[in-house]
Amino acid sequence: MKAGYKKVKRMTTFMRINHWVVAICMVAAVITGLYIGHPYYQTLIAEPAVDKYVMAWNRWVHLMAAIIFDVSSIVIAYLYFFSRFEKPILKLLPTPKNIVEFFAVFLNLITFNRVKKFDSSHADSFNTVYFLIFHLLLVWMLFTGLQLYVQGLESGHSSIGDWWPALLHWATDWTVAFTGGTNMDVRYWHHMSMYFIIVWVMFHIYYQVWRTIYWQEGDIAIAFGGSKFAKEK
Amino acid sequence: MDRRDALAKMFGAKGVRVNTNRGEAYYEKLRRTMEKRLNELRQTPAATKMDIQKALDAEGLSRRDFMKWASAITAMLMLPASFTPLVAEAAELMNRVPVIWIELQDCAGNSEAILRSDSPTIDELILETIDLEFNETLMAAAGYQAEAHLDEAMKTFKDKYLCVVEGSVPVGVGKEWCTIGAKGETFEEHLLRVAGDSAAVVAVGTCATFGGVPAAAPNPTGAVGVQDIVKGKPIINIPACPANPANITGTIIHFVLTGQIPELDHLNRPKFAFGYRIHDNCERRAHFDAGEFVEEWGDEGAQNNWCLYKMGCKGPMTFNNCSIVRYNSGTNWPIGAGHGCIGCSEPQFWDKYAYERPMADAHIKAPTGGVEKSVDQFGLGLLTAAGVGIAIHAAVSATAGKKDEE
Ligand code: HEM
Ligand code: SF4
Repeated sequence: MKAGYKKVKRMTTFMRINHWVVAICMVAAVITGLYIGHPYYQTLIAEPAVDKYVMAWNRWVHLMAAIIFDVSSIVIAYLYFFSRFEKPILKLLPTPKNIVEFFAVFLNLITFNRVKKFDSSHADSFNTVYFLIFHLLLVWMLFTGLQLYVQGLESGHSSIGDWWPALLHWATDWTVAFTGGTNMDVRYWHHMSMYFIIVWVMFHIYYQVWRTIYWQEGDIAIAFGGSKFAKEK
Repeated sequence: MDRRDALAKMFGAKGVRVNTNRGEAYYEKLRRTMEKRLNELRQTPAATKMDIQKALDAEGLSRRDFMKWASAITAMLMLPASFTPLVAEAAELMNRVPVIWIELQDCAGNSEAILRSDSPTIDELILETIDLEFNETLMAAAGYQAEAHLDEAMKTFKDKYLCVVEGSVPVGVGKEWCTIGAKGETFEEHLLRVAGDSAAVVAVGTCATFGGVPAAAPNPTGAVGVQDIVKGKPIINIPACPANPANITGTIIHFVLTGQIPELDHLNRPKFAFGYRIHDNCERRAHFDAGEFVEEWGDEGAQNNWCLYKMGCKGPMTFNNCSIVRYNSGTNWPIGAGHGCIGCSEPQFWDKYAYERPMADAHIKAPTGGVEKSVDQFGLGLLTAAGVGIAIHAAVSATAGKKDEE
């Protein structure tokens, strides 16, 4: 290790696995979601109905990605409060310290790293708030997506029992009233919210690269090796 | 919808499942209620000379046809098969159930759908035998004479008659354009008066249930559905454009049999009819799953009955039983005839379902009410804006930014 630098651990193995699983599922959800909304490649050319479930496979992949999101979200929500590594909730509470830190990091971004008045070795409030936005968007996709899904379980039965559609109705029916009163509004907002997520991802990737270049602390490595390097004071 | 309604709906909505296995005791009790009710009805005099037997004879339909129909309706109402004789009897007693049918802002399409067939189905014949006390489209009387008759019927059958409503209710600035009768009652006043003394209100067709086509943007008359106006009465919604006569008959028979309204979903639609999603019972569903779509009217896919999703079929978001009971005695239905579902039994269908393309391609008003864009156009705009922002930040960082020393 270069002199004057120390290694700081930022993501546990579990967090890194989760990160990449979510990233892969996100790409899969976008690709298959767009196909479900408007089937954009055609199967006219393919052989007759032998082993040809193009829409069914797209929906399968979409729903598999979705169920992984479901599980991941529950775990992440738990870790917000009970992580033994770093509890994100502590960085989200609007304490004076957190608010100052949030703006200090934001200032760093908009002054193109000319001003840097915070400790960049640990997870900061700005980053945590930014991730909270992502998690809220994902939860929103979950609620709307599960509402679209339960519409197809109108018999009230499912392979895992009647409790599942009943639970989904209880947990997601409000999205219909909330988005505008029809099933179509839920679908519209499910599709629309995808773009907000993509915008989020664009800035997320940009910011990680930018940090790596301007802070010179190897931030991008966090997602792979779990740690970065911070200058020793 | 006001805030309170919205909040109440938030956690109040329920699935559309009807429990069809409630055990011996439940059905035994139900049978006794029904028998008692039918007995009472039999004591009351028939209000019209028309009865189902005469109607069947006139059409050359046999008792056997009638019993076949009765067992189909029994199944539709999700009753055990042993209830078939009761259903048949209820149909025979339909001429003792007073109905007042009022017509508001609409095209009379629901009446037309029932009346205009050259070989009426038994559903339609049943509706001919009900004791129809008042119906603007059908009756000969007009003006004061018609009104006098309405008043009399309302008085005689107070709290006993079914008020069937067809058409939406204008309550906006233009409501005075729509008046009815010699005294110039507005539709709203007319509805409130007739519904007020009824046993229950049946809103037939999407205009009466959710405002329908008259309520489509920009809704010049401020049209709303019956349930937005009438409070404190049982309301049954039978939407669709037009409502399926089978569902109207089923609902009325249910009322005749039990004196109660059938189990309803969160939009007050009978679950026996609206507990099915079109898409899940559609004959083209295999083509949907295979990704075989009609791309253009009359193309190879259309000739092979492929899925109409890309032509704008809204079967995946629409709840109704057309894919099962179809129309005109099971002759056909829109998707069978090669046109996608337009979601006509859902609220706001004209604005939100009836465009002939998938939702993702439809031009929808921005939430601000501004320019119409498809969701993907809006999304690409958003991505472009984000991309430009990032590019500017990157460029300024590269020229004016400060890199920390290594
Ligand atoms: C964040 C990732 C997600 C993205 C980007 C995404 C995107 C999409 C898009 C674009 C559509 C098509 C909507 C249309 O235009 O008609 C769609 C449909 C759908 N999505 Fe998602 N979605 C995501 C997560 C989820 C989740 C978590 C669920 C939960 C179950 C879900 C369930 C569904 C369902 C059921 C449909 C409709 C499928 C059908 O009717 O065949 N999605 N999604
Ligand atoms: S035609 Fe419509 S209802 Fe039928 S499978 Fe295709 S999308 Fe579903």
